Amino acid sequence: MLSSKFALYIHIPFCVSKCSYCDFCSFVPKEKQVKDYINALKKEIITAGQRVGGRLVTSVYIGGGTPSTLPPNAIVEIMDCVREHFIVLNACSVTIEANPNTFDKNKAKEYMLAGCSRLSLGLQSHSPHILKILNRAHNFDDCEKAIQNALFYNIQDINVDIMLGVPNQTMKDVKETLKRVVKLPITHISAYGLICEPNTPLTRSIEQNKLSLPPEELAVDMYDYTVKFLEKNGFYRYEISNFAKTGYESEHNLNYWKRGSYLGLGLGAHSFLDGTHWQNTENFKEYIKNPTLCQKDIERETIKTAKEETIMLALRTTQGLNIKEYNEMFDGNFLQEYRSVLEKLLKENLIEITNGVIRIKNMYISNSIIAEFF
Amino acid sequence: MKDRQKYIRNFCIVAHIDHGKSTLADRLLEETGTVASRDLQEQLLDSMDLERERGITIKLTPTRMHYKYNGEDYILNLIDTPGHVDFTYEVSRSLAACEGAILIVDAGQGVEAQTLANVHLALDNKLEILPVINKIDLPSAEPEKVKKEIEEVIGIPAMHAPCISAKEGTNIPSVLEGIIKEFPAPRGDENAPLKCLVFDSYYDNFKGAICLVRVFDGSVKKGDKIKFMQTNNAFEVTEVGYFTPKAKESDILLAGEVGYIAASIKKVSEARVGDTITNADNPASEALPGYKQVKPVVFSGIFPVDGNKYGELKDALEKLKLNDSSLEYSPETSVALGFGFRCGFLGLLHMEIIQERLEREFNLDIITTAPGVSYHIYKTDGEMLEVSNPSNMPEPTQIQVMEEPYVNMHIFTPPEYMGAIMELCTERRGENKNVIYLDEKRVRLDYEIPLNEIIYDFFDNLKSRTRGYASLDYEISEYKPSKLVKLDILLKGEVCDALSMIVHVDKAYERGRIMAEKLKEVIPRQMFEVPIQAAVGGKIIARETVKAFRKDVLAKCYGGDVTRKRKLLEKQKEGKKKMRNIGSVEVPSDAFISILKID
Repeated sequence: MLSSKFALYIHIPFCVSKCSYCDFCSFVPKEKQVKDYINALKKEIITAGQRVGGRLVTSVYIGGGTPSTLPPNAIVEIMDCVREHFIVLNACSVTIEANPNTFDKNKAKEYMLAGCSRLSLGLQSHSPHILKILNRAHNFDDCEKAIQNALFYNIQDINVDIMLGVPNQTMKDVKETLKRVVKLPITHISAYGLICEPNTPLTRSIEQNKLSLPPEELAVDMYDYTVKFLEKNGFYRYEISNFAKTGYESEHNLNYWKRGSYLGLGLGAHSFLDGTHWQNTENFKEYIKNPTLCQKDIERETIKTAKEETIMLALRTTQGLNIKEYNEMFDGNFLQEYRSVLEKLLKENLIEITNGVIRIKNMYISNSIIAEFF
Repeated sequence: MKDRQKYIRNFCIVAHIDHGKSTLADRLLEETGTVASRDLQEQLLDSMDLERERGITIKLTPTRMHYKYNGEDYILNLIDTPGHVDFTYEVSRSLAACEGAILIVDAGQGVEAQTLANVHLALDNKLEILPVINKIDLPSAEPEKVKKEIEEVIGIPAMHAPCISAKEGTNIPSVLEGIIKEFPAPRGDENAPLKCLVFDSYYDNFKGAICLVRVFDGSVKKGDKIKFMQTNNAFEVTEVGYFTPKAKESDILLAGEVGYIAASIKKVSEARVGDTITNADNPASEALPGYKQVKPVVFSGIFPVDGNKYGELKDALEKLKLNDSSLEYSPETSVALGFGFRCGFLGLLHMEIIQERLEREFNLDIITTAPGVSYHIYKTDGEMLEVSNPSNMPEPTQIQVMEEPYVNMHIFTPPEYMGAIMELCTERRGENKNVIYLDEKRVRLDYEIPLNEIIYDFFDNLKSRTRGYASLDYEISEYKPSKLVKLDILLKGEVCDALSMIVHVDKAYERGRIMAEKLKEVIPRQMFEVPIQAAVGGKIIARETVKAFRKDVLAKCYGGDVTRKRKLLEKQKEGKKKMRNIGSVEVPSDAFISILKID
C-alpha cells in the first residue's frame, strides 16, 4: 500500500560534545565534515523528493545530534531545499532540536526564517551534579534564556526534555527540576527514564561500579511523582514519556505511534514508507560518498510485524488501541485473536477495555505487557 | 572332550567401590597378553565415558584371556561386574555365569559395606571365592590384619590370599594361579541340547540385539536355529564369538564357554536377560534358573526443558532401555512441565547415570522431578494402589492407611563417627537394629530406615559427616505403615504438580518451608505479586511472596526505535517460551532444575 502522506525526519549528526549516555548517531565534527554533510544531505533531499513523487509532507522534525551546532544559515538552506523538492503542507509543523547553550538570538531568528514552529530543548535536569554525570555542558539558566530567545522570534511551541533515573539523582532533584520546568512558558515535556545503552561512558561507569542507578523503587517513585505533578500543572500524559498542554501534542511523534509513514533523511536515519522499514548507513564516509544509495536493513513488513508494531505503539499511548480500527486494518478479530492474553491481563488488572479501546493501566511495565501480545 | 573344559575358568571380580576392581582387571589383561600395555587405556573394561569418569562399572563386558600355566593353555573368561549397590541385580547376573569370584579387599581399608553385600551374592550363587588383598603398596596397608578380618567378618579362609598391588602390577601371576587352582572348571555336556544363559544384552545398529551368553550345555554356531525358552521367540544365528575385549567372531561356542550370539534380533526385549537359549528343533527339557527381575525402587519424572523435544526424549529412553533393561518408563503429563516420562530406577546412582546419559549422549536438556519411592495406599473402599507419582495420590479422606518401603541398611565406619551417623539416621527416621564392633577401628551399624529418607541427600550427608570414612549398603526389606501426606506447592493459588511430593507428616512443615524459601529465590519477579504456598491437604503450612516488579524500561519510542523495540519485545517473548506456566505465573525451567536439585 502506498502512503499518500508522510512525516519527514532530518538527521544532523553533530554535537559540541558527546553526552555520557548517548548512543545516537552523532559526533563532534571537523569544519569540512559539516560542509560535506550539508551537501550530501541536500543531494539526498533532491533525489528523495523525486522518488516520493507528489506525496504530502505533514510534519518535519530536525533532530540529532544537535542541529543548533550547524553554522549560520545551514537550517534555512536545508529547509529551502526541502520545500523546493517536497510538497510540504502549508501549516506543517516543523520541529527542531537544540541544546540550551547553543541557542542564541541569532539561531532563533534563523529558525524562524527557516519556518520552524516548534523547538525541543534538551534540559534533562535542573541539578548541576546530574548534568555533570550526563556530561551536559549547560545549566538551567541557559535553558531559560533559550526559551526567551525562541519566544522573541515567535517560536511558541516548546518542548523540554527531562531525564529520570539518573545515577545519584534524588527525589529532591526531580521535584526541584519539575517545579522549575512547569513554570517555564512551554507547551510540552518529555520525561524519559535513563536507558543504559551498551558502550556508552555512563554504562561503563555503572559496570565498573563507579556509579550506580537509583533503586527500582525510587525510580518508580520519581516517575509516579512526575506524572502526578505534571498533570496537576496542566501537562497531561499522552504517551509513556510524553506530556503536553491540551492541543500541543507532538504531531510528528503521534504519527510514529499511529504507525504512520515517515521518511528519514541524513546519516543513520530510519524510514517507514509503503510498508517497508529501512535505515540509512551510519558510516559517515559512506553517506558522504553516496547519500542516495546507502540504505540498509531493508525490511518489508509482514502481517505479524505490522500487528505487533500497531499494538506496541498504540498501547504506549494513553489513547490506547482502538479495537475497531485494528479489526478494519487487519481484517481480523482482535478480541478473539488475543483472548487468552486479554483474560490474563484483565485478571491481573494490568489493562482495561472501555468503549472498544484497550489501555495499559500500569505503564511502568508496558514492555512486559506488550510482549504478551507478541 | 571333557578335557577341553578342564582348561576353562569363568570368573568375575567383586569388590567395594574403589578397592581396585577395574585396575586388577586391566592388569590381568596385560599379564595374559590379551592387551598390550601400550594399548591399555586406563581401565579398559569400563567402556562408557561415564563409567571411566566416575570410576564405576555399569555395563558388563566379558573378556576371554589365554594363559599358560604349568605348560598347559588355559582360557580365562573374566566377566566384569558393576560395583555399586544399585546394580546388585547386574552383579547377580554375571555371577550366574561364573564358577568363581575374586574378592578384592583394600589392604588399607579392610572389609566394607559392599564387600559384604557382594560376597553374600557370590555365596548365594555357590561360587568359589578367592580373596585378594590389594593396594599393598600403600603405607597404610595391613594385609595380615585384613586377612584376619576377612576370616572373621566374612567367614572364608584368607590366609593364602594373594597380596598384590594392582596399580604397580605386583604379584599378578599369583592371582592367575589362584584362579586356575581355586576355581572349578565348567562341567557341561557338550552333546546335550544347547542351554545357554543370557546374562546381558546390548543393541548393535547393524547386527541387532546381541546376547552375552554363558554356554552351559551343547554348542551353538552360525546358522543354528535357536529359541528363547521364556519368550519362545526363535531366530537363526548370524554370528557367534567372544570378546578380547573387542568382539571377535568365532566358528562355534561350546559348553563351558562365554561369548556372544547375534541372530538379527530386532528388539532387546526379545533377548531378555536371564532367559535361556536352546536349540529350536531339539530343545532342552528345562531352562536354567533365571534371576528374579528386579523392580525399580526410585522414581522420578523426566521432562524435556523444551517441550518440543518430547519425541527426542522418547527415542533416547528407548535407546537407553535397549542396553539397560532395568530402566522403566511410561508417559506422564504434568500441568507444569508438559509431556514427559515417569521413570523407575534401581537406585539414586542409576537415576543420576540415566540423567547424565540423556544429557551427554543425547544432548537433551531435561528437568527431573524430585525422586520418590512407590507407596502402597489402602483406600477406605478396600482397594490397594501402588503410587509413585504424588499426583496420583487419592484425597486424604479416601485413604485408610499408607505403607512405604523400608530398607535394611549397613554402615561400616570408624567408631569416632558413630555419634554423627546415629544422629543422621535418627533424623531420617531410621531405627537402629544392631551395632557390631569388628575391631577397635571399625564398627558396623545396622539400621532399618525408610527408603524415601535415603534417596534424597543421605549419601552426601553421610560422607560429609564422616569425612568420607563410612561406607554404606542397603537392601530393600519390606513395606511398613507410615503417616504420609502429600505436600503441595501453590503458586498464586495454583498447585504446581511437578513440585508435589509425598513426605512423612513430621517432615512436611520443614520441607514445605524450605521449598517455599528456595522458590522465592528462583522465581523471577512478575507483572504481579506471586504468593508461594506450601500446603498439606487444604492447610497452608508455609508462605513466601515474590513481589511484583515495578518497572521495565520507560524509554522513548520514535521512528528509529520502532523496529528495534519490536525486535526487543519479540526476543522477550521468545524468552518467555522457555518458561513454564503455572496458572499465570511464569517459572523458568532452570528454576525447576535448581529447586529439584536441592533434594
